[in-house]
Amino acid sequence: MSAPLVVFDKVQKHFGKFVAVKELDFEIREGEFLAIMGPSGCGKTTTLRMLAGLEAPTHGEIRLNGQVMNDVAPHERDTPLVWQSLALFPFLTARENVEFGLKMRGVDKAERKERALRWLEKMGILEFADRDISTLSGGQKQRVALARSLVMEPQILLLDEPLSALDAHLVIRMQAVLTDLQRELGITFVYVTHSQSEAFAMADRVIIMGKGEIAQIGTPKDIYREPANQFVAEFVGRNNILSGTVESVSKDTARITTPSGEFTVPTNEVRLIKGNKASFVISADLVHIAKDEPKGGNKAQCKLISEEFVGSMVTLFLEDAQGHEFKVQMQERELSKFDLKGGDKIWLSWDTQSAHVLNES
Amino acid sequence: MSSKPNKSINLYALTWRLPIIFWQFIFFVGPVLFMVAMSFFLVKNYRMTEAFEFVNWSKMLSRGYFWDSYWYTVTIAAISTICAMCIAFPAAFALAFRASESTRRWAIFLLIIPFFTSYLVRTFSWFVILSENGVVNGILGYIGLGPYTMLNTNFGTLVGYMTLTLPLVVILQTVTMANIDKTLIEAARNLGCKPLATIWQVIIPLSKTGLIIAAIFCFILSFGDFVAPFYLGGSQETTLPILILDTTKSGQQWPRAAVVAIMMMGTLFAIAFTGIALAYRKRKGQK
Repeated sequence: MSAPLVVFDKVQKHFGKFVAVKELDFEIREGEFLAIMGPSGCGKTTTLRMLAGLEAPTHGEIRLNGQVMNDVAPHERDTPLVWQSLALFPFLTARENVEFGLKMRGVDKAERKERALRWLEKMGILEFADRDISTLSGGQKQRVALARSLVMEPQILLLDEPLSALDAHLVIRMQAVLTDLQRELGITFVYVTHSQSEAFAMADRVIIMGKGEIAQIGTPKDIYREPANQFVAEFVGRNNILSGTVESVSKDTARITTPSGEFTVPTNEVRLIKGNKASFVISADLVHIAKDEPKGGNKAQCKLISEEFVGSMVTLFLEDAQGHEFKVQMQERELSKFDLKGGDKIWLSWDTQSAHVLNES
Repeated sequence: MSSKPNKSINLYALTWRLPIIFWQFIFFVGPVLFMVAMSFFLVKNYRMTEAFEFVNWSKMLSRGYFWDSYWYTVTIAAISTICAMCIAFPAAFALAFRASESTRRWAIFLLIIPFFTSYLVRTFSWFVILSENGVVNGILGYIGLGPYTMLNTNFGTLVGYMTLTLPLVVILQTVTMANIDKTLIEAARNLGCKPLATIWQVIIPLSKTGLIIAAIFCFILSFGDFVAPFYLGGSQETTLPILILDTTKSGQQWPRAAVVAIMMMGTLFAIAFTGIALAYRKRKGQK
């Protein structure tokens, strides 16, 4: 594998007594689409701002192409950022906004204009080149902001929740625009978001951050199916978390007793000791439902509380006799076969291999 | 009032608005109309008599001393505006971008305090500081400089104008710049803009409206001020306010003073309208 483009080496960031970033150690590979995801206040934006030079790390080193960046001023870096608020200059036209960075770099007028227009055309907004920013729609502004950063032909593009202000249907469109752009240009994208759907839809790798630390790094699939710990499992949502005591351990599986019943789980690499506490997750889409009690296997009887539709997918929210919440995700047409009403009692079941034991940390 | 006949007049709102409308008519519109009328009156045997003659206008506007005074006042008010804007900018910049929220609040509070004391009193205190054996010349004397004449000069007049306008200009500039979205400055830096260049590239364009309004205020206050040129400038040069005083004193020429006053108001209206039009000018491409 080629040398990493960016290295965070034991990076910490303190604001007075507040520790925004505890200790970051990770690498960004050349040409990858990396998403940094976490709840508000987890330090993800601070991480991005340190990479852009807008914040200086309190401890540790950030290296770009092997060069230590700690003391490099933001205007001397080649790390354009697309802001959550877009931060377009309201006193400039769309084209002048795109030209801004080139102007600062001393590119002459004719070339500036030509490159700006080329990017506006690429983003499909050439006709708005001489329009004022305030007259553009949200999606058009988004494209101007992207063009303004990409016209610099950077090695790496930083994006700080750029889609959070857009309507839902535009978000999906812009996601496609972003992934296409990233593939076509082959440059590295670092995308900060709190939205799981955005991160999982676009990224090659995802970093989950919590309380200033990395909770897990992995592909979207890894994180979804095999969350490293309870924090990730809860943050990723759409899955069922069960906690209890290890009853018995065999070669590949273990029995765990929870208030909701006794279940068999695969041990994976997690070392389980009889009598210890343990938690495991089952993705909501791997849970089956049935009206009649299934024979054997992992099962739980639940009461239907509510349904939530997103497109053709539906998520059922259920509760067992102990009040523990379960979630089941399935196709809407599949669900319609069951003819369920709120309050109905149904059985949930899942394959042993669908469960994933969490590291206690 | 509403031009639509079917829309009934809101009596409640009107009642609340009446006092200010009344006040404006009695103490502003009325006197201005009277002053305009007065500029056509005649003075006979030191007594003003009602008339409609253009003689005051033709007399005043054909005199060299009027135009000397006019252009002097315009020039010194413009210089005062430029000085105040330049002196205030670094202070306002520091308060808006470097100071903490609480420091800024205290600074604005302290900048309001000068308005607690009479401007006249503040002007007189400059005598102690600027006179030939005053504080400044005393200090300069220690290093073998001076004494310099500062009172009764243009410099004295400008010091007076600064006393009047600087606190207000600093406040207006600070408030304007403190409201700038800081992300835009960071965005400029992110796109390769050097720290100092952000002032021209981002901060001034973003605070254009507020800066122009601060300048208009400064010009209006300096242009119409009587105290600074009279006491600190020593009436060495006759500004229009001094000219008004002289005209009324010499031979009760109130009608000619009214001509000067109307010329001043016309000039201020023109400056204020041009300035505000500039401040809110829409760029092409804007709807």
